[in-house]
Amino acid sequence: MVQNHHRGCHRQDHHGTVGENKEKRPKFFINDHVDILIEILKRLDCRSLCVAASVCRLWCTIARYDSLWENLCFRHVSPPPSSVRSVVLALGGYKRLYMGCVRPVRSRLGRIRKASWARDEVQLSLSLFCVDYYERLGGGGNSNGRLVGESSPSSLRFLCKPVNV
Amino acid sequence: MVLYDSSTLAGSISGSSSSSSKPPPFPLQREQQQDIDGHLAGAGYKVRSSELRKVAQRLERLETAMVNSPADLSQLASDTIHYNPSDLASWVDSLLSEFALNPTCPYEFVTDPVTNRTVVNDSWTTTATNMPLVHQDVSYEEQSLNNKLPIVTAMEEDSGIRLVHMLMTCAECVQCGDFTLATSFLEDMQGLLTQINTVCGIGKVAGHFIDALSRRIFQGIGGGSIDGGSAFENEILYHHFYEACPYLKFAHFTANQAILEAFVGHECVHVVDFNLMHGLQWPALIQALALRPGGPPLLRLTGIGPPSPDGRDSLREIGLRLAELARSVNVRFAFRGVAASRLEDVKPWMLQVNPKESVAVNSIMQLHRLLGSGPNRNSPIETVLSWIRSLNPKIMTVVEQEANHNQPGFLDRFTEALHYYSTMFDSLEACSVQPDKALAEIYIQREITNVVSCEGSARVERHEPLAKWRTRLSGAGFRPLHLGSNAYKQASMLLTLFSAEGYSVEENDGCLTLGWHNRPLIAASAWQAVPDAPAEFPAPDTHRPS
Repeated sequence: MVQNHHRGCHRQDHHGTVGENKEKRPKFFINDHVDILIEILKRLDCRSLCVAASVCRLWCTIARYDSLWENLCFRHVSPPPSSVRSVVLALGGYKRLYMGCVRPVRSRLGRIRKASWARDEVQLSLSLFCVDYYERLGGGGNSNGRLVGESSPSSLRFLCKPVNV
Repeated sequence: MVLYDSSTLAGSISGSSSSSSKPPPFPLQREQQQDIDGHLAGAGYKVRSSELRKVAQRLERLETAMVNSPADLSQLASDTIHYNPSDLASWVDSLLSEFALNPTCPYEFVTDPVTNRTVVNDSWTTTATNMPLVHQDVSYEEQSLNNKLPIVTAMEEDSGIRLVHMLMTCAECVQCGDFTLATSFLEDMQGLLTQINTVCGIGKVAGHFIDALSRRIFQGIGGGSIDGGSAFENEILYHHFYEACPYLKFAHFTANQAILEAFVGHECVHVVDFNLMHGLQWPALIQALALRPGGPPLLRLTGIGPPSPDGRDSLREIGLRLAELARSVNVRFAFRGVAASRLEDVKPWMLQVNPKESVAVNSIMQLHRLLGSGPNRNSPIETVLSWIRSLNPKIMTVVEQEANHNQPGFLDRFTEALHYYSTMFDSLEACSVQPDKALAEIYIQREITNVVSCEGSARVERHEPLAKWRTRLSGAGFRPLHLGSNAYKQASMLLTLFSAEGYSVEENDGCLTLGWHNRPLIAASAWQAVPDAPAEFPAPDTHRPS
């Protein structure tokens, strides 16, 4: 879908620059309608969203909006309570939550996916995310080097391990 | 490719066992009278009970050979001669013989733990005539030494089994006080260790137990330098143990879930943590309280921990971090640190519990340290449990190792510890992240050393199984709270995230246990103070206030 948009842009540009159609203005250029663009990008999956981020500067900026990643996190879940947003933003934002916790949790649990677990997956991801934030607090803020062995937060490392099949 | 006729092979198997030059010693003579194994017979296979291990080893070899040489496999698959698989021993032998690669192991001997000592240093090619050997596979032995498959050879397996036998015998000598014999066993075991792989498996665990035994024999029973390891080191090892395997994560998440459910509807809550460490348990609880329907309560956390040397207030640092986290998520939070080197030194007034708040007591693998009784005092567990009860906690979460390491007899304790820690090391094998794994092993090794080589007040790792804790806690005036399906669901999900496939969560009458391949290793339970007077000494006509 992203590729079509991209080609669509180009086609419009081409028509615009080639002299023969210069009376006919392009009907639709997606970058002029940022709200529609956001609506579309909101519905992408993670990989497409990352690809979209490399299309142009505008798309890159939009792909970084946390609200898009919020949709990704809560896609399969009924709308979460509104207090979740402030907590997640305080802990580092939805993109970080998704990339660090929700995505690996979902892919690991996808093996034995039960439909009723979707909400619990998100809750578990949030808890793990919070532990990770706590560790990030420790790494940066400790001047004594007390936790010298933990220069990088490691509580999520087990999620990054390759899965034994 | 020569295809062996299954009947001749079967004949050769039973034939060679009866026609070996020396009359085989007692295990083999009984073989002729042993029946076909009952379980396998039910599945349609006829295997002699005495040959079970041998057949199992051959099946493993067959599997490895098939995996390593797929070309041969396709040839094998295209043959239309089918051997009778119900005679499993001969079937697997005949299949093995069709592979070009020869398995490495020449020996499948029945070991006799007492006479083994004389053959520890024999090289592979000598078949010691005083050993009961079963020469089934002469052709394999001759060609085996050049092709080495990367599997645990049966030789190593048997060395491992011999090592275990020796460990038990050595422990028995220690229990009887025969230290001379025990020392000689130790030397033999050290020698045997060089022959097997000590990087993983039984060799590694055995190495730790051998170290612990030698510490006990040579340094005496108070000599364990476990508490000599600084609190700082302990915290680092604990942290890596937290990363490497799911036991602590399971403990934290389960306890948090129970505490969360107990605090529903309460606005002023106070959590007492018996071992704060890095406070890794509490971020998740703070976040869950922040998101609970109705908004977060006022949370007070009292963390107990050992005093830190050189003036640093590590408890306060952790408290500050937790406070910053709580502030970010808008939870009103207050922290208090109580520095005490032993849990029995803590008095309830130090916790400053407000009568209007709901209290939760959290003990992750701390209560067992109170079970030791000195020469002039009773075990402090009674005192501590009674002051916990006097706080009237809404919930007390107890997580303990599911093992019986507090038996008075040394040999029983040793055996139990060997099984328990072997299982735990097995589960650790699945962790592939260094340095977590290596440091987690050191953490476990310290426990092993304490269980095996210390006595009296030096031995703090006095694990008891869940059943005993149930009795003890019920007797002290607590009643169990069921952990609920949410905790179970969360624990199952957490385990699935760990990439190893062997972990299992089980529900045990309201408590959850986490185990490796169905051996429970850690048990989590929740308790509540019984509001009435404890039933230990029911006063017939007076009503004691709770």
